Amino acid sequence: MLQIRHITKSFPSVRALDDVSVDFAPGEVHAIVGENGAGKSTLNKIICGIYTPDAGEVRLDGATIHLHAYKDALDRKINLVSQEIQVIPKSTVAENIMLDKLDRYLAGGRIDWRRINADAARYAEMVDLTAPVTQPVAVLSAAQKQLIMIARALSSDARILIMDEPTSALTRHETDNLLQLLRRIKGEGVTVIFVSHKLEEVLAVADRVSVLRDGSLIGTQPIARLTKEQIVQMMIGRDARTLGLGALTVDAGPPVLEARGISQTGRFHNVSFALHRGEILGFYGLVGSGRTELAQILIGEDRKDGGEVYIEGKRANIQSMADSLFKYRMGYVSENRKEKGLILSAPIQTNIAITVWERLRDRFGSIRLAAETATARDFMQKLEIRATDPGQTVGSLSGGNQQKVSIAKWLAAHCDILIIDEPTIGVDIGAKEYIHQLIWNLAKVEGKSIILISSDMPEIVNLARRILVFKDFAIVGEVRNNGENGAPVRGYDEVSKEIGQYLA
Amino acid sequence: MTQREVKLLARQTNQRGGVGSALRGILRRSDTSVVIATLILFILFSFSNSSFLTPFNLFNMSRTASLYVMVALGQAIVIVIGHMNLSLGAIGGLTVVVAGWCMDTMGWSPWVAAPLALLIGTLCGMFNGFIIVKSRLNSFIVTLASLFIFTGLVQGISQGFPYSNIPKEFTMMGRNDLMGVPFLFIFVVIVLIVLGYVFKYRIVGRRLLATGGNLEAARLSGIRTDNIILLAHTLSGVFAATAGLLWVSRMGSAQPSTGTDWLIVSFAVAIIGGTALNGGEFSALGILASAIMLTLIKNGLIMLNVNVYFEQTFLGVIVLLAVSVESIRMALSNRSRRSQVKSTA
Repeated sequence: MLQIRHITKSFPSVRALDDVSVDFAPGEVHAIVGENGAGKSTLNKIICGIYTPDAGEVRLDGATIHLHAYKDALDRKINLVSQEIQVIPKSTVAENIMLDKLDRYLAGGRIDWRRINADAARYAEMVDLTAPVTQPVAVLSAAQKQLIMIARALSSDARILIMDEPTSALTRHETDNLLQLLRRIKGEGVTVIFVSHKLEEVLAVADRVSVLRDGSLIGTQPIARLTKEQIVQMMIGRDARTLGLGALTVDAGPPVLEARGISQTGRFHNVSFALHRGEILGFYGLVGSGRTELAQILIGEDRKDGGEVYIEGKRANIQSMADSLFKYRMGYVSENRKEKGLILSAPIQTNIAITVWERLRDRFGSIRLAAETATARDFMQKLEIRATDPGQTVGSLSGGNQQKVSIAKWLAAHCDILIIDEPTIGVDIGAKEYIHQLIWNLAKVEGKSIILISSDMPEIVNLARRILVFKDFAIVGEVRNNGENGAPVRGYDEVSKEIGQYLA
Repeated sequence: MTQREVKLLARQTNQRGGVGSALRGILRRSDTSVVIATLILFILFSFSNSSFLTPFNLFNMSRTASLYVMVALGQAIVIVIGHMNLSLGAIGGLTVVVAGWCMDTMGWSPWVAAPLALLIGTLCGMFNGFIIVKSRLNSFIVTLASLFIFTGLVQGISQGFPYSNIPKEFTMMGRNDLMGVPFLFIFVVIVLIVLGYVFKYRIVGRRLLATGGNLEAARLSGIRTDNIILLAHTLSGVFAATAGLLWVSRMGSAQPSTGTDWLIVSFAVAIIGGTALNGGEFSALGILASAIMLTLIKNGLIMLNVNVYFEQTFLGVIVLLAVSVESIRMALSNRSRRSQVKSTA
């Protein structure tokens, strides 16, 4: 039985945890939820000995324990599956699974690879990892790497298993399998501490849930007593704003962007679709189904072998993002904002004004710094980007605020067509709702034409009135939910079921 | 809490924010440490040695520092985009040999020799950039290969012999002065001011920084990053060639060995001067300060009668120190920034 008692932890000028006490029982899946910055990670790190608390104590089986490093936690069979994927790319699956216990397989100064591979295969099977254990990890997908990390923790016979967003890279099927696995290992008396943004998963797997907000424990409750809405309300401390998502025009007038017969050898074959003014067109499908890959072709980042793209009825020649932006005012919000969307080391103003420097020049061609700052301030205010000043580096912002910055640069450039790829990955619930509202307003109020790429079903069903379903680099179905004036005529369940049918 | 207490608390937080933000501003600057260190060294030398502050010594030191600046710029311009140019010295050497050959062997006017040599250097840099962009190989490998190509050309053309017949009008730049200030020094200060302005106010400068900050993000923000990479390497060639010509102008002869020791100097000055090694940052002031600092140290070693053959060892140690100071600065700056973000969130 793991207990934490009156834990307080402060960092310079911020109290990350304030008098938090939680009991974790053996054989339970205990979910910890809260917005970004609520203190979940700090709590995890204290349980794992990565941080030491300023006050309070951690008790294991009634005795106070003092952890000074992660190794101390490991010695007590407390294991962490962290959010970041930590694998050694050139080593095999088996090596990566057994990474922290290779010394157990020493026989006469040599490592017994056959035994490692056999043992690793057992754990790989447990997490439903299909890749052969002798394969190097580098060629695997993010989801498979995540499964390796989980297998690594399982193979340590953990008594307490902390999982920090373990499903962020997993597909639906792998997620279901993982949840099943968690149910099984809790039956063996393991305590699973499950941290997730995805409340559906929490509701599906957790026995009890503890909600943190601004470093304080709001409450610990058996999951059976709570609804999703109640959890959200505990997390954000107010009623969850339900979107006023009403009518949105669908295919009105001539198309703004039209793809005709796009082909790419080995991938796309004759793919066509049209996007109209003021609509949000959903691209739904699993990661790797061709949604992002098609977007890459549209913005000129990837070559197409056949077919044409028409913008405003004219044939468009887009060879690069520069063409896309400067010739056709088409913007792209990357699914990977940290690596592809933002210059994290640069200030907010650079990241917003990067698309409009031409416009901000004086008559001698110098960029007017005041105008740059003003542009940034303007969008910081409009999009409620929480930062001290436009000079603050983007890397120091929260995920939600970073995402707002990466959208702002296209708004600054007056882009009429926006391709928005997975806008709410790694964004907390409050910011997620805000971003949904923002995307909605861009289409509804400002008449922008938006392609929304998402694997988040509620997100796409709420926002898009027309959804293209992708599978194996083809559009396998079009789901419409527009009655009179584009207002939704069917409920979430019905629409999501239809999408599911196309994917099956 | 009473209203008075609230006001008091607000004032306290404000005050802390004021001092904090000033400190943060200084910490955030990449050139702070080198400017301070240079000033301290300068003051130290002024007091400890009577021959330090003589016009002759200052004249010579400022000329050396000027050449260091020029060499460092050739490296800094590619470090800014996260690349490097190992062939920098060889480009400089090739420029020197071409200039020498034109003026000495062919007897041409400096007005023909200098532009021609500059053109050759520029083409060398462009060659590096072109290969990097087209082959998608990294700059280390490409410029390592071109280092050998250019070095071979230097040795092949010169056969190892210096060109000593350099016209007087050509050496004016490297040897004469305006009211005691060497032309060389005036020249590099102007170049630095122009670069400082370009990086802050011109689109091309901002695009160089953006590309260095995050290549993918820059490209996906509509920057033609291939052009930027080509430009940076071409400019690296221009700076290396300019440094080569100034070197000849100062020495009064064209030595084929010129440039062989530029690699360590170029990295040392650029890095100590606050050019972030992984790109995206440039400081004109920092480069000037660090060039002066290295000159001071060299000067100091001579005054202390340290064997000059050990110079590179000292340079290496100083680079290590500078990088360590830099990482400490980053850590401090990050910490103070992070705590501030949390307190406002």
